[in-house]
Amino acid sequence: MICKKCVLPESKPDIWLNEEGICNVCLGHEKEKQPRNKTLETDFIKLLKMYKSSGKYDCLVMCSGGKDSTSALYYMKKRYKLNPLAFTFDHGFETEDAMENVKNAVEVLGVDFLFFKTEFMKDMFSEIIKTQSKASICHLCSIWYMDLTFKMAAKFNIPIIIAGWTKGQSTKQPLMSRCGCSMHQPEFHSMAKSTNDFLDKYIKSNPKYKDFPKSMEEVLSRAKIRQKCVVLSPHWFLPFDPETYVEMIKKELKWKLPKLSYPENSTNCYLNFISVYNTMRDYGYTHYHVEMSKLIREGLLTREEALKSLEVNFPKELLNSIGSRLGYRFSD
Amino acid sequence: MNILGISCYYHDSAACLIKDGIIIAAAQEERFNRIKNSFCFPVNAINYCIQESNITFLDIDYVGFYEKPFLKFHRVILDHLKTWPFSFLNFLDSMPKWLQDRLTLPLTLEKEIGFKGKTLFVKHHLSHAASSFLVSPFDQAAILTCDGIGEWATLAYGIGRGNQIKIYNELRYPHSLGLLYSTLTAYLGFSANQEEGTVMALASCGNPVFLDKFRKIFVIKPDGSFILDTSYFNFNKGRRMYSNKFIKTFGNDRKFNDILETRHCDIACSLQKFVEEVLITITRNIYNETKMEKLCLAGGSFLNCVVNNKILEDSLFKEIFIQPAAGDAGGALGAAAYIYHSILKKNRNYIMTHPYLGPAFSASQIRRILLNFNLIFKEFNETELTKQVAERLAKNQIVGWFQGRAEFGPRALGNRSILANPCNPQVKELLNSKVKKREPFRPYAPAVLEERADEFFEMRCKSPFMLLAPKVKEGKRTLIPGVVHVDGTARVQTVSKDTNPRFWQLIKDFENITGVPIVLNTSFNLRREPIVCSPEDAVGSFRKSKMDCLVLENYVVDKRGLVE
Repeated sequence: MICKKCVLPESKPDIWLNEEGICNVCLGHEKEKQPRNKTLETDFIKLLKMYKSSGKYDCLVMCSGGKDSTSALYYMKKRYKLNPLAFTFDHGFETEDAMENVKNAVEVLGVDFLFFKTEFMKDMFSEIIKTQSKASICHLCSIWYMDLTFKMAAKFNIPIIIAGWTKGQSTKQPLMSRCGCSMHQPEFHSMAKSTNDFLDKYIKSNPKYKDFPKSMEEVLSRAKIRQKCVVLSPHWFLPFDPETYVEMIKKELKWKLPKLSYPENSTNCYLNFISVYNTMRDYGYTHYHVEMSKLIREGLLTREEALKSLEVNFPKELLNSIGSRLGYRFSD
Repeated sequence: MNILGISCYYHDSAACLIKDGIIIAAAQEERFNRIKNSFCFPVNAINYCIQESNITFLDIDYVGFYEKPFLKFHRVILDHLKTWPFSFLNFLDSMPKWLQDRLTLPLTLEKEIGFKGKTLFVKHHLSHAASSFLVSPFDQAAILTCDGIGEWATLAYGIGRGNQIKIYNELRYPHSLGLLYSTLTAYLGFSANQEEGTVMALASCGNPVFLDKFRKIFVIKPDGSFILDTSYFNFNKGRRMYSNKFIKTFGNDRKFNDILETRHCDIACSLQKFVEEVLITITRNIYNETKMEKLCLAGGSFLNCVVNNKILEDSLFKEIFIQPAAGDAGGALGAAAYIYHSILKKNRNYIMTHPYLGPAFSASQIRRILLNFNLIFKEFNETELTKQVAERLAKNQIVGWFQGRAEFGPRALGNRSILANPCNPQVKELLNSKVKKREPFRPYAPAVLEERADEFFEMRCKSPFMLLAPKVKEGKRTLIPGVVHVDGTARVQTVSKDTNPRFWQLIKDFENITGVPIVLNTSFNLRREPIVCSPEDAVGSFRKSKMDCLVLENYVVDKRGLVE
């Protein structure tokens, strides 16, 4: 049973549908809906000014090679005439297409580029898959990526981190502490709890990961101690839809849509396919369902578009070819 | 060269972006923040103008403001002193606004939009003059501006030649025709600075029995200039704009919900006739002084289409031009145009032939909104669409018509309009009961194919911005009863195939069914709300009203298909 308004399935106790088939998240949104409080580009400009740096770089842009982060990098350099430091992190499973997009973007824009590649997370990913843990790979990865990003920002004395998050990936600006992956949101409650439980247990038994943060909240509290830093996304403030900025980066930055993707028309790493497979198996939905549901509620996406884009149609062979790198084979 | 024009802090805040002399975008703040006649800093309109122009905030070369705040403040302070202690409450109300915002625009610009460049202040009536002449089709013309009040000036005239404007003379506060009209608007129980058009409509229902009293209050000199007897007014002495003496002369004021009496109609009629009389005298004198054949008009007073028509008929000028945002919103356009052409001395390269300078929405955006509102809709190709809508209109349906870019200015001119059948004698009652909830004496306007206008109306020029009210020809009045006012006039919009081909085609298709090349066109808004801007606004108004059908670009939503 899927909510009649968004694309979240019933997943008790976190998500439940009422008699009309509407989920508790949509009902809560209707109740909270504020009349006309649209964010404006000038709000973004004010925030950039408020956190302006005196150092070499104005902002650190988390760049995955996807359309949202590549266009965010473009905006920071071209629209706001800032000096960004592009930052890409590869845990060993990034796609060649994504890396090509990043390479093209930083070359065309002439921005400094910080590339970080490691297999540090491999054992942890392997453990999740092998034990069939309900922890979300993407959640773990984002905890680590954010922690690393905050560390890099502190290292280079950069007070603004720019992410390519869409309006579906965050509810309120400008603080990262309110980003989508919060345990307190019903859609993420079980996922976040499983991730925390997994980390709690796994970190204790693996000295390699003794410094790994146990939650996004911990990432934030660590960052707060390090320096004053804000995380923003231009997409929260600009009215341009993805069709518009995809055209722009294709033309200006030689950006290409990857051959293989989930959800449709997105750019994600290879592990994403396993993460999607696992979370669908464990919860019946993924964080993409949450993001798209939010976009539907904001009127930026239709339910039909979201359902089409979220169709899981990648083959088992793909999962096995990725799984084999972690020493795992999915049963037929 | 990118110049951002801004008008705000009094009423009708707006922004306009001129790029190398071409108006790329212009919009009123009310369309975004949904506060009618909003006066606040137009941050939404500015964001829209920058984004529509495909530039960034860092690309703005100049900001032009539509008046000189310190000059205006000078007048305000002197006025407070003159009327002290009666102005005490007004003083308490206005001073914080002046000190916080109005005198510190460059700081506000830096704070709100990050602009640190040059801000130029153009006098209020010069902004009005520029808003008309510099975008007019005329190389040279006389110019007349008139409104409530600018800094000191309430009316100004001069000439425009090439890219330069010279103001010859001006009338100064408190001697103001615009303030007189607003005062009477308030006296008659309507909202000043908002419902002057309602008073204009009411005027046709009365007789000018109070005309001599107005002549007594306003002493008119031979050149048309006038002196107002201030004892009749309370402009700055309290919450009311008129004095006890005014009430002694005209009787008790009307409260918002009071019944309209013959006396009220007669006062409105006398006021209208008086204003026409004064402006005809003034324009005749301007004609004699300037010997120009063309006249550009601007300022809120020239949103009065009855006055405009009189000027066209009786002033000796052969042609007149008024741009659609003739009120204070147009000041944003005027300030920007004045900086580009007159201060920076750039040649004129733009003629304002249409008002479609506001936001547009793509088919995919509209489709998403319709789906998310859970509405049942059908998509048509262009040919089918106009035929389908014309058929609905011929069947006396009321249609919400939302197309392309929103209009700049207070008139809906075929892109954010509610349309109906002008041949239906009951259409006014139908619209009033189902949608607009207007006073019964207010007329609805016709939109006519430009090339067929003179068959129906006594007009010798185009009226693309619905700013003229010619007589409907005797033999045609019974054909279009829904748009003929009690005095036999109509507030006409002539529709050109070049500037709005889809609207033109719709009217043509309506003509093919009914034989009448005219549709009834009224603004797409509900009572006391701003005209709709976005598809969400349109759907919201559609759902709240009893319109039969909503057309958003190529999508048609039928009321019966509404799924709650």
